[in-house]
Amino acid sequence: MSDELNQESEVQEIVYALASSPDFAKSGTCFSARQSGLYRSDNGGETWKTVYGSLTIDVPLVTTSVVLSPAFPQDGLVFAGTNGGILRSSNGGKSWEVAILRTPSPLVTSLAISPDFASDRTLFAGTMEDGVFRSTDQGSTWVFWNFGLYDPNILCLVVSPEYQVDQNLFAGTENAIFRSQNGAHSWRETGFPAERGPVLSMAISPAFAHDGTLFAGTDSYGLFRSKDRGKTWQHLAGLDVSSSINAILISPEYPDKAELLALAEEQLFVSRDDGLTWSDWRKDIELEGDPIAVAAPTGLAAGSPLLVGLSTGSVIRI
Amino acid sequence: MKKSKNKRVIFQPIAYKAMQTGINEMANVVRPTLGPLPRMVAFERNTKNERPEILDDGGTIVRRIIALRNKDQDMGAMFLRHVLWQQHEKSGDGTATTAVLFQSIFNQGVRYITTGGNPMMMRKHIEKGMEMVMDELKNMATTLEGQLKITEVAESICYDREMAGILGEVFDFLGEFGHLEIRSGRSRQIEREYVTGTFYKMPLFTAEMIKDRDKMMAYAEDVPIFVSDLDFDEPAQFAPLLRVAGEAGIKALAIIANHVSDSGVAFLLNISRNPEKFQAFAVDAPIPEDGQPVLLEDVAIQLGAKPFFKAFGSTAEGVTLEDLGHARRAWADKEYFGFVNGRGSPQDVRKRIDELKKRYDAAKDVEARNKVRVRIGKLLGGSATLWAGGNSELDIEMRKARLERTVEAMRGALLKGIVPGGGVALLACRHTMQRMAAQAMDEDEGFAYRTLARALEEPARVIIQNAGGDPNVIIDRIDKAGPGMGFDVRTEKIVNMAEVGIVDAVAVTMDAVHQAFASAALALTVDTLIHHKKPETVFNT
Repeated sequence: MSDELNQESEVQEIVYALASSPDFAKSGTCFSARQSGLYRSDNGGETWKTVYGSLTIDVPLVTTSVVLSPAFPQDGLVFAGTNGGILRSSNGGKSWEVAILRTPSPLVTSLAISPDFASDRTLFAGTMEDGVFRSTDQGSTWVFWNFGLYDPNILCLVVSPEYQVDQNLFAGTENAIFRSQNGAHSWRETGFPAERGPVLSMAISPAFAHDGTLFAGTDSYGLFRSKDRGKTWQHLAGLDVSSSINAILISPEYPDKAELLALAEEQLFVSRDDGLTWSDWRKDIELEGDPIAVAAPTGLAAGSPLLVGLSTGSVIRI
Repeated sequence: MKKSKNKRVIFQPIAYKAMQTGINEMANVVRPTLGPLPRMVAFERNTKNERPEILDDGGTIVRRIIALRNKDQDMGAMFLRHVLWQQHEKSGDGTATTAVLFQSIFNQGVRYITTGGNPMMMRKHIEKGMEMVMDELKNMATTLEGQLKITEVAESICYDREMAGILGEVFDFLGEFGHLEIRSGRSRQIEREYVTGTFYKMPLFTAEMIKDRDKMMAYAEDVPIFVSDLDFDEPAQFAPLLRVAGEAGIKALAIIANHVSDSGVAFLLNISRNPEKFQAFAVDAPIPEDGQPVLLEDVAIQLGAKPFFKAFGSTAEGVTLEDLGHARRAWADKEYFGFVNGRGSPQDVRKRIDELKKRYDAAKDVEARNKVRVRIGKLLGGSATLWAGGNSELDIEMRKARLERTVEAMRGALLKGIVPGGGVALLACRHTMQRMAAQAMDEDEGFAYRTLARALEEPARVIIQNAGGDPNVIIDRIDKAGPGMGFDVRTEKIVNMAEVGIVDAVAVTMDAVHQAFASAALALTVDTLIHHKKPETVFNT
């Protein structure tokens, strides 16, 4: 049964992004990036509290993205993307440092963190109008190169699970998916069909180094999959939707467990056969708003908890 | 037909013999330069007290040979010289490979023809064999990706570790079409600089427009840009633009124009007195000789601007805010106008890039192809400049030349892929030629394919020979080792060439095969030499 959670803010809310701690099962810690700021829950999404209390701000700080360090339980590092800058907290949100991006400051649309963050201290920020910024010092300073990225409006960003070896990341834009093989220095357009854009969401296989698999969710053409690192893309006709795919999640055990979750307008679809067939995540749920963001803190196995952020500003746990 | 008293005609067998001597003389000069352990070629300077010029590049070496003393032999030498220079121009590399392939085919062919073989049939079968070898090379090619691989290929072309390391990084960032400039440096090393965004050779009309004195440039953020090839003779012509700027609350405006008069420049400086409130700067976009402002069209696409061209009768009258392009950042100095993240439609940029890529593939002329490549690079964004350093001016010159030809070959490798180096890819193509020879319908065909099979061995043989090895013994070991295996002359071991990074750009190898096979086949059909007794006066002064 879905539980709508209490709201901390009166602002017309939208949930843009969700992130959960790697030890969510134990700690229940998760974050939601919203129109009114960044919120933290320590009880699995039951109640939420703003974490911007230490900031002196007159107006709500619209927060469009959030990522946690892979070692969050130990280092407490949280990064939040806003309009013009990226905030960093090294104590789970108690206090914040702000990195202002180069002027004119762009809107940060997505954040992605290197799987080897502990050693390479690298993370990426996708922006509107300024492409992809990269930080190699835990978010203190940010630079952009963007050679070959002729569409600088980034809608989504994913990093290879083998980033330390292959330096691969992918950026979805209005008409294309670009691939960088050198840590965002330069980009080449993949074979994604331009007429099928915009690309709103992407997911990368945990076994990307071996299977080269990626998924891309579009605004009105459904879901696409590439099995050759983006060279060619196939439309997954099994997911028969014409609405936008706002998020895609992939099982951490993919491809052994070929489970996928797609967040379409008003519905959550799951596939347990690598995208061949799809069904509702749960038939007994009626969402009161469009699902915008989703997190699966413990994976996609049947019965696992999901956090879903809605266009109404609610976060529900199902 | 009118006979010229100045003509001298040479018939067989002298013609072949003379051609062959000239060809061998030219090829033998280049042969020692093939491979990673090349021998140098020293050229005497015009002035006796200068040290000889030391060269290791086949293209430059053949350029230095103006003529042979014996005119009959000179025709053969100049024939090959032209072939090698074409290879050098087209690929920037592979001249020595072309030379040894050509030499082998020609020498074998002459022997056959002088004992009664049919040169026209030889030519036909050689050309057929050439197509088969080219196809085989194409199928053998693998994509070149990643900095490490790119560095390895660069090193296999330039044999200079420092240069290869830098080129590996540069091409990894820029890609095959990236905008790269090579200049003479002042330090001992090769230095590089990267520039984000795009820039064009469009200087400010006056350096007084430079407001940022530290960086010596005019600079503005979130800036609307008027793209035109118009002439602004009077300050009043700026009025429509300033009206739009005023109405939209614009704080900075960049103007691209063909001409701004002194009074126009003074007017722009005057209204930009307080750059915090408003600044305008104008850059000079000269109309190209052919009158086609294609670069301005590219700029307009990137910025999302409506271009105003004289040729279409445009004026600045009636300009609207929507007509102006837009960039997140724009700058200009005494030489260039640049911008980062234009607000042009990505679809339009992509369409333009696709269109230019087709034009690039179709271009036959090197200069035209390079112009198109530069335009693609600018549309993609990002560029690099390399400064070739060295221990002396001569060293700098040599490194710059080597950088230029390596860069050319690298672009080919990135575009078309790579094959095992050290002559191994060509060795692999022998088997097809041997099979074709075994299936031949007549003696001419059989001999042509046997000739090609033997010629395909020659580059590997010469590389081994130049490194001091015994080609017969080592080629036998390579054959026994299996596909992809070759001789690393530096470690003197049989290795998997691709795995240890000894690779060649397939485009260079294919060009070398094409140039050598087609030209040698043609040279074999030359029956008579005719030349002037006295050189004709071409220009009267």
